[in-house]
Amino acid sequence: MPTNGYDDRKNRTNLGSHLKRETSVIGRPLMKVDAMSKVTGQALYADDIHLPRMAYARMLPSTQPHARIVRVDTSKAEALPGVLAVITGRDLPIKYGILPVSQDETALAVDKVRFVGEPVAAVAAVDEETAERALELIEVEYEPLKPIMSIEEALEETEVRIQEYGHAGNIHKMVSLQFGDVEAGFAEADYVREDLFFYQGNNHLAMEEHSAVAHYSPDGKLTLWSSTQTPHYVHRALAKVLELPPSRIRVIACHPGGGFGGKSDPFHHEICAAKLAMLTGRPVKITLTREEVFYAHRGRHPVLMWVKTGVKKTGEITAMHFRSMLDGGAYGSYGVATTYYTGALQTVTYKIPRYKFEGLRVFTNKPPCGPKRGHGTPQPRFALEVHFDKICEHMGWDPAEWRQRQACEPFSLTANYLRITTIGLRECIEKVVEASGFKEKFRQLPYGRGVGLACSAYLSGANLPIYWNDMPHSGAMVKVDRGGGVTVYCGSTDIGQGSNSVLAYVVAEVLGVRPHDVAVVTADTDLTPVDLGSYSSRVTVMTGNAAIEAAQKVRDLLFRAAADELGAAPEQLEAAGGRIFRRDDPGVGLPFAKVAQLAEARFGTLAAVGSFTPPKTPGRYKGAGVGPSPSYSYTACVVEVDVDPETGWVRVPKVWIAHDIGRAINPILVEGQAEGSVYMGLGEALMEEQVFRRNLHKIPSMLDYKSPTFLETPDIETILVETNDPHGPFGAKEAGQGPLLPVPPALCNAIYDAVGVRIDELPVTPDKILKALERKAKGQEPRVGPDRMPDVEWSEPIYVEPPDLEHDPSLVPATGSS
Amino acid sequence: MKGFEYYAPETLDAAVEILARYGEGAYPVAGGTDLIPKMRYGHVAPQAVVNLKRIPGLNRITSLENGGLHVGALVTLTQLSREALVRERYPVVAHIAGKMASAQVRNLATVGGNLCNAAPSADLAPPLIALDAEALIVGPEGERRVPLEHFFTGPGATVLGPGELLTAVLLPPPQPHTRAMYIKHAHREALDIAIVGVAALVRLAPGTATCQGARIVLGAVAPTPIRAREAEALLEGAPLTEEHIAEAGRLAAQAARPIDDVRGSAWYRRKMVDVLTRRAIAGTRGEGGDLT
Amino acid sequence: MKQLVSLQVNGERHELYVPVHKTLLEVLREELGLTGTKHGCELGECGACTVLVDGEPILSCLTLPVEVQGRDITTVEGLASQGVPHPLQVAFAELNAAQCGYCTPGMLMSAKALLDRTPDPSPDEVREALAGNLCRCTGYVKIVEAVRLAARRQQGDLGTVVDEIERALNEGVVREPGA
Repeated sequence: MPTNGYDDRKNRTNLGSHLKRETSVIGRPLMKVDAMSKVTGQALYADDIHLPRMAYARMLPSTQPHARIVRVDTSKAEALPGVLAVITGRDLPIKYGILPVSQDETALAVDKVRFVGEPVAAVAAVDEETAERALELIEVEYEPLKPIMSIEEALEETEVRIQEYGHAGNIHKMVSLQFGDVEAGFAEADYVREDLFFYQGNNHLAMEEHSAVAHYSPDGKLTLWSSTQTPHYVHRALAKVLELPPSRIRVIACHPGGGFGGKSDPFHHEICAAKLAMLTGRPVKITLTREEVFYAHRGRHPVLMWVKTGVKKTGEITAMHFRSMLDGGAYGSYGVATTYYTGALQTVTYKIPRYKFEGLRVFTNKPPCGPKRGHGTPQPRFALEVHFDKICEHMGWDPAEWRQRQACEPFSLTANYLRITTIGLRECIEKVVEASGFKEKFRQLPYGRGVGLACSAYLSGANLPIYWNDMPHSGAMVKVDRGGGVTVYCGSTDIGQGSNSVLAYVVAEVLGVRPHDVAVVTADTDLTPVDLGSYSSRVTVMTGNAAIEAAQKVRDLLFRAAADELGAAPEQLEAAGGRIFRRDDPGVGLPFAKVAQLAEARFGTLAAVGSFTPPKTPGRYKGAGVGPSPSYSYTACVVEVDVDPETGWVRVPKVWIAHDIGRAINPILVEGQAEGSVYMGLGEALMEEQVFRRNLHKIPSMLDYKSPTFLETPDIETILVETNDPHGPFGAKEAGQGPLLPVPPALCNAIYDAVGVRIDELPVTPDKILKALERKAKGQEPRVGPDRMPDVEWSEPIYVEPPDLEHDPSLVPATGSS
Repeated sequence: MKGFEYYAPETLDAAVEILARYGEGAYPVAGGTDLIPKMRYGHVAPQAVVNLKRIPGLNRITSLENGGLHVGALVTLTQLSREALVRERYPVVAHIAGKMASAQVRNLATVGGNLCNAAPSADLAPPLIALDAEALIVGPEGERRVPLEHFFTGPGATVLGPGELLTAVLLPPPQPHTRAMYIKHAHREALDIAIVGVAALVRLAPGTATCQGARIVLGAVAPTPIRAREAEALLEGAPLTEEHIAEAGRLAAQAARPIDDVRGSAWYRRKMVDVLTRRAIAGTRGEGGDLT
Repeated sequence: MKQLVSLQVNGERHELYVPVHKTLLEVLREELGLTGTKHGCELGECGACTVLVDGEPILSCLTLPVEVQGRDITTVEGLASQGVPHPLQVAFAELNAAQCGYCTPGMLMSAKALLDRTPDPSPDEVREALAGNLCRCTGYVKIVEAVRLAARRQQGDLGTVVDEIERALNEGVVREPGA
């Protein structure tokens, strides 16, 4: 039953003021604007840059997981012919970090190293080999400290601390939030279930190894080209650490060769390249090796989870209590946000009226974890969707029908004050169930074959910025040339998802020109208005809206200039097909370029800016900043598996995925995001893991870090569901991360359907299946997974009364165009 | 990668001379698919790299008078997988050669490189040992032959002495009524190393289901590829019944000496030896899969 | 130790004096400025550095230039002819088979070698042939479709490639059923 009384808002389609007519660009499967440059090898990645007199730098990795640095002697390295500069932590002592609350990194370790691979010194030389030889000549004396390598060890060890800040001991952050009386909820439930899960950490494994090139000009200006997803944050970090005014720093994001969250922090090598360029007066390039990429990491946090849910016989959830423990690695990175994210989005998929979340993140002597596609939400979503599958099994409910009945309502507010706008979850489930034949297959396929269903939700950008400020999250500028060409400038970074193309599409749609006639200038802090970066699935919604606003302002000028000529009021004009014409008499119009000339003559240079600031969020408690979004995307997924019960081998013949995209600005790009998400989700579910043995990274190479090839990747059928979100540009929501979330749990649910064992721990390797099958044969619980959560004294929760929508009109969701 | 002296001799004698001169500091290179990564990671730092590709004849597959095959050490995996003589006489070898690593690697990697690298998981070793292949070795003392079964002495180690080169693998003529199968388990179907590999070869008495001779060779479960002799002995002279096959699997698993490593646990590897041995033997009866 | 090497790359002859231990990949990128060929793993596991030698795909990160003297080396820069892109390039661009684009050059080279030998490959033949090229963005779906689209186009009457590109950029790509 709807909990919020806003049923009248269901099914509304409000395309805002963006869309008053048929679109000619939006919704079409167009080639990306930069596609030809990528298929001809012309697209420039950071390591492709070669500047005159360029020097090459390498960084010396720590050999110790945890140690005090007693002495670093660089004299022999400095004396090596060809060496141009050597720096250590003392040269760059200022701390930085992506989050204001976790300024705990230095470009090179100063007094202490905290993981094997942490950079201790850096050398610039005439070539890479000389730099490498110089590294061998640097002497570092360490005084080893006790290494702390797991969540359990971090919680037990309180004397030896990895960091000198945080909650206590080696606990970096602890969160405790409660929305309503969950105990009363459990008391009124007919069935209460508890489960434990573990999701192993893994790496983004972007194909491109991080690279940066720095150039410091004689007039004191620094330029950094980098394979980054977040040039704006790199800009800020460089200014802080190098103590340069931001006005003298220019950061240009080259095409990153894959990001997935792995290039969203400011990194050691970026700062070292900049410092070495300043010291040598020569351009300096640092390109990481694959091994160093595994040390730079910022990948998926390993998370141990416990969940308890109460349900009524009629299906409603009465309450949920969720606990997560994150293994953060040695530094903060995005970890505080990640910790909150493991508890934030539980409530936006199915109706959960009372909810309690306790989460903590520990420091360990491993490379820092950070955001990877889905940032802190794939782990709890895995736990939840398997947990719900078990509940449905116990209660005898059809898992698809139960999910449809419990799906959140459109334009509603959750117990933790997240504002849901459109929600296409029911339709996603319906479509994916139908396409896969789920009803005919579930619990009916022969032994060894099975199907599993899972659903998820994800944000279309975070409503709050990473550093506190009241400025827009995204800015765009549109300039019209008197020849009729249009240029859009925006700080966003196209990491392959097609955000440059989205800018061209929305501007072309508003101005009625062809996408190929729109030039796109992005990701250059000197040239483009700030956009916070390509993370949290924010780019289409935020830059799209900013670009629409800028284009509309320019279009207003064009309409005003054309109005007299066309004998109609500006409001009666329309722009399409490279013309501006009368809506009531489309034959009466002028070519776009002609109107541009009239407008420039009348108003001067034609340009306008637009901005996007996300809507205010109603949550007023500490921690309310993580989770709110302009809109949530929804996904439903069915995975079919073949399990070989003798070997534990799992083959996935097909995956069906339905995604509520709001509106597909370019369906072929959205499909690409869904397909890539399914692939990456399967990789995490079946083989990818960042694991350590004897304090060392077990597998810092592409040979032993397994990711699926063509041959392990199944057929993927993608179904797009459109709900036309009022906050989205032309109704669009996110697509880049959400579709990954339901894949791992759908796989595990399918394995249970196939052979009757529960693998509550990712990745699902063949030996785990075999162990579970052995347990089953012996009459033990047919399950492999964690069996306990370490005991922890959780903080007293912040208690928040869930929203009382009947009596507080201020909580009524604001809708309409943003 | 560090610098080195580079040689590209045009005769075997010259190659042997250079290798003998540098001793352990010299590394022969053929495809480079194993050596170059090792050099890049600093696992080896050769003083001299001796490219063998200019030596004529090493990249040829030729039929022997006895009906067997001479496979030059520099034959690439691609050649091995496409060569009609191999496909006809030893399909088990052609098949695995065409599945290893990736198309790009198969175009570079050679038979000799795969064997001399002596990884316990080397995919060519179990089927070649099962076929009773011999290694043809040339060195300062002349030529010698070593059964491939005895070629490996440990992970990364072979019987090759200073200055010695593997020049060819000699395959005996195919036996009538004999079929072989190799099954590999890895995380991925491409770009991957065997966690367990099992080759089974079974010769049946004409017109019967009685086994006259068997080879069971296990890869990646001991410091070198090993034969499961007890399993072989059990099968020899016995009918290939389900019971016998099951017992052979059990005996093979007993013979395995697997370790826990990055790629798999000892427990799981031993289990897989049992299953894959059974499947490989059953496979030779023509119940699917790939046969010799 | 440096050595004089003569390389034939994309139909052009280059005489180079390079350290003998530099890989073909390093020489292509750093000496010849052919940065279209990428690197991702340094040990022959990712396929990003794939180039063709006498039409066969090999990994340039595992190849020493001295070993490929006198043979025809083709990189992604040599795929287009007289400025007209190869049908594979157009199909990859149209179908969004290149997302971040980093694996694309290597993927294209493997695909070219496949189509030269198997003009109309089945989806499974495409997967087998390209299994040595990793992609982290696409889930491989659109790559298989693109190779097959290019195969069909290569066999049929194409119209001009330039028209295809113009249409795909402004009106939408052709998505054939059963691709």
